Amino acid sequence: MASKGKPRAPFAPWDRRELPGSFSVEDTARRAGNYKWAEMKLFEALGGWIATVPELDVKMRLGTHCYKHAWHAELWHKRLPELREMNPDRLTMPANDALVRFFAAMTEPEAPETTLEKLTGVYRVLIPRFIAAYTFHLNNTSEITDAPTIRSLRFILQDEFDDWRDGEMIIQSLIETPDDARRVAEHQARLETLMTEAGGVAGHGSIGFHATAPEGAAAQ
Amino acid sequence: MKKFMPVEELARDERFHQVTQAERMRDGRSAFSANSEQSRRSSNRITPERPDASEAARGLMHGIFVGEIQALEGAGRTCWDFTTGEEAPFALKLDMARQAWDEARHVEISVKLGDWMGSEIGQFAENTVLFQAACSNDPVLRLAGVNRALEGLAIDVFTTMKEFGEVAGDPYLEFCEDWMLADEVTHVKMGSDWLRKVTENDPERRKKALEFQNIVDKMFSYGGTRSDSDESSIGLARRFRELAGFTDDEVEYVAEVSMQALNERKAMIAEKQAAARR
Repeated sequence: MASKGKPRAPFAPWDRRELPGSFSVEDTARRAGNYKWAEMKLFEALGGWIATVPELDVKMRLGTHCYKHAWHAELWHKRLPELREMNPDRLTMPANDALVRFFAAMTEPEAPETTLEKLTGVYRVLIPRFIAAYTFHLNNTSEITDAPTIRSLRFILQDEFDDWRDGEMIIQSLIETPDDARRVAEHQARLETLMTEAGGVAGHGSIGFHATAPEGAAAQ
Repeated sequence: MKKFMPVEELARDERFHQVTQAERMRDGRSAFSANSEQSRRSSNRITPERPDASEAARGLMHGIFVGEIQALEGAGRTCWDFTTGEEAPFALKLDMARQAWDEARHVEISVKLGDWMGSEIGQFAENTVLFQAACSNDPVLRLAGVNRALEGLAIDVFTTMKEFGEVAGDPYLEFCEDWMLADEVTHVKMGSDWLRKVTENDPERRKKALEFQNIVDKMFSYGGTRSDSDESSIGLARRFRELAGFTDDEVEYVAEVSMQALNERKAMIAEKQAAARR
């Protein structure tokens, strides 16, 4: 054992965390508010769809995933006051109007024969966008000053990856004909167009590029 | 997707056959003799000694299974049907999402238990009355009807099923029912807490919600299927109800309406039997 009183480096040799980060307190609060809004919209939609899908396994998965996204929304809700936003509702908002249009289109399918469309919107368009925005945030925030956000992002990302895999496997199992494959591709393309306009769950800048809306995209 | 889904639109695969509460009550197979002293066994509780114990337990298990599906759907719809903040608090919706996850697990457990007990999905009809109680356009009424009345019934059913597992020497059944029972107590408590909180300054709304709960409680006394009497196949789980936030008066009320429902049904059957003899 090292002798008592011998000074040790405050950071161990294996601890390579750095102070600088790309996000200010305000930037982080804004993103947390955008995340909370999008996670809320997602858990509400998953909850609503449970009664509309006839496939028993899908019903149960939607119920499970509904809670996970509600929990993510709760984590962001609790983080906001820690980021000097004492009224979390003020920043609980969509990144832009295009994202509102995306959610309206994603939650449009209702009939029992549209399970593929419902799942495509969530697991092939939205969840990959969550994974992208959260990963960018995780890799670019200060590893020391913003450790609480990092902890939440890691828990949430684990859920997102698990749920994406669940959803993708269910979609693959439901695609039985070339017509099914075409339906999925067309619906995905339609929603991708709207999401491109939105720029991601935290708007343009969700993954670092296009800090402002690209030319031709709707104003935020 | 629209708000407020009618019960007729619940999506099911082709194995399921749905019936309304009225159809169920009209079904002669679910009736029992009014002259219970002479023609019926002394207890209707499911015990291994009953010759029809296996079939009765399978039927009850299937009822639990479809009830869990509807509870899952109801909790999910409450997440969707009400605008956050304006119509339902954010935290209430988080609780409903949590309940959706719990009910999804209960469906999984029920499917596996049904398989274990030798029944198949769709072997018995699905009564959709539970989801109907989850269709109110006031979230507080839903909490009163679903979380307090129906989940309260679930406490009674799971306790009965757990006891059956215990006396039948089936630790697998007993273990699973006990876990589900723990969740149901949580759900009832959730309903009790939210009912008090949301209606704190609105006594009229609270009164309406409690009236609705009483109606559902009576409806779910199933013509005496659940009561303190041994003539009912499902007992009243008083201790777990207390844990879930029911007051002594509320437990007494449920006991009373259940017994009343049992007596009303017996009188109705006696009347029909007398008419048939004439």
